[in-house]
Amino acid sequence: MSRIILLLTALVAFLLPLAWTALASFGLLPDNSSRPPSWTGSLTLQHFSEIGIAEPTFWQELATSTAAAVCAAALTVGVAFLGAYALARSYFRAGRMLAQGFLVLASLPVMAYVIPLSDFMRRIHLVDTFAGLVLAEAAATAPLAVFVLHGALAQLSPEWEEAAVLDGAGLCAVLGRVVFPLVAPSVAATAIVLFVLDWNMLLVPLVLTSGEIKTIPVAMSDFFTFERELDWPTAAAALIVSLAPLAVLVAVFHRLLERFRLDASTAQDIG
Amino acid sequence: MILFAPLALLLGAWLVLPAVLGLFATFTTYSPFTTTVRFSGLANYAAVVQDPQFGAAIRNVAVFTAVAVPLELAVGFGIAYLLRRPTRGRELCRVLLVMPWLVSPIAGGVMWHFLFGGATGILDFVFGWLGLPEVASPAGDLRLALPTAIAVEVWRVAPFVTFLLLPGLASIPNERWEEAKLAGASWTQQILHVAIPELRTLLLTVAMLLIGLSFGAFDTILVLTGGGPGTATLTPALFSYGRAFQTNDWPVGAASGWLIAVGVVAVGAVYLRLARGRPAT
Repeated sequence: MSRIILLLTALVAFLLPLAWTALASFGLLPDNSSRPPSWTGSLTLQHFSEIGIAEPTFWQELATSTAAAVCAAALTVGVAFLGAYALARSYFRAGRMLAQGFLVLASLPVMAYVIPLSDFMRRIHLVDTFAGLVLAEAAATAPLAVFVLHGALAQLSPEWEEAAVLDGAGLCAVLGRVVFPLVAPSVAATAIVLFVLDWNMLLVPLVLTSGEIKTIPVAMSDFFTFERELDWPTAAAALIVSLAPLAVLVAVFHRLLERFRLDASTAQDIG
Repeated sequence: MILFAPLALLLGAWLVLPAVLGLFATFTTYSPFTTTVRFSGLANYAAVVQDPQFGAAIRNVAVFTAVAVPLELAVGFGIAYLLRRPTRGRELCRVLLVMPWLVSPIAGGVMWHFLFGGATGILDFVFGWLGLPEVASPAGDLRLALPTAIAVEVWRVAPFVTFLLLPGLASIPNERWEEAKLAGASWTQQILHVAIPELRTLLLTVAMLLIGLSFGAFDTILVLTGGGPGTATLTPALFSYGRAFQTNDWPVGAASGWLIAVGVVAVGAVYLRLARGRPAT
């Protein structure tokens, strides 16, 4: 019983702010000037169309954010999968230690290196380009992906691969037909988490783009840095639009996301 | 190994190389806006360390980390503990309780800016119901700004901790709990003697990520308070960003960025020692 009360408390505490925002985006607002406060407004979708007036390029930014996050997550997963496999199967005993080193790298805030990175990108003419943004986002999230995928791959018994090699399979065939299908759920879960991280990333696009390419988080920082105080219902609508794709993605794949494990890399091998 | 090459290329070109070039640059007067570059030794670092704003930023981030990380771990663990057994409605709870983490840090800042604000916010609504006078946003109060920023961060990150801990907690064999219960262990003892030893390395890993996240605290605070009032919520990341991109004091910005990296690497060294420690039995 106390368990249910505690859970309900947690649900209210964590979801009330989101519910408040969702109501505002549909035009239902509290009126705090009256005592006691009351609710005003009627249900409307108008505020969603007002986003396009307050921020004329918002829908374009939504497309850019989606494309950049998809490309960056795909690139990271591909590269990290190969790298993590190399780590997990190296005879080099330090593989696990190196994987933990990648976790420390994953903890490194982007701010620590983004200042020289912006200068570097300017010099190689990748500032404010889609490719530059994708590469920088992919690099920023790669260490976490390596750590998680190394955990999944290290638990895999090498017998399957050895059998395939005896049958004359090359490296590509072993990876594509044996290893990948066995860890596909972990790879997919990692890709979803990376998509969320890339979609929400602010600092990388903020520093590496200047208008030509613009993502949703950068647009949101603009709402304020240029002192153009936005209407709350319009801002709420923009928040809901930027949250909705992630909410749907996570709700649909919540079972699969259990495969995003941080403990496999350090756990004892099973069997 | 050839398989490692793409990863090495990606990380080398877009993370390690710029970072190392940046490190060398911090020992000179280099900036993208100057033409003459001279060696300047530790002058940039001296400028950072002597800057009272940076001192304030370090103090703030120390408080931020010391309060936010344990709270995130405790709340995140608590919710995961409540959800560890498969019961009716568990899946729904899990999905709903991960939602705050899906709100981007910047969107979280925007959202709480309005929720704390007067006319249409939650805070004023509750105060109104209680018959209390209107309140100003705590984000603008000198003493309350930092606790407010911490609260918003905990709201957003604790669900992420639950998300990371739950699979591990749910996979602890049921017998372990039963044994503890038969031995007469209370729920606190069950957590201390069953859950925490089983999840030791996982908890260490999550703590490492959270500490890194706190050291780099930037997005939410940028919109919520902008580092103010005064320097009440200034963090090293905001300091670096402001110096490098707003006041064009590039070398100082890059040098303070490197000091964030030093902090994370120092914590990382402790993590590597502890995680290697005793192997799980």
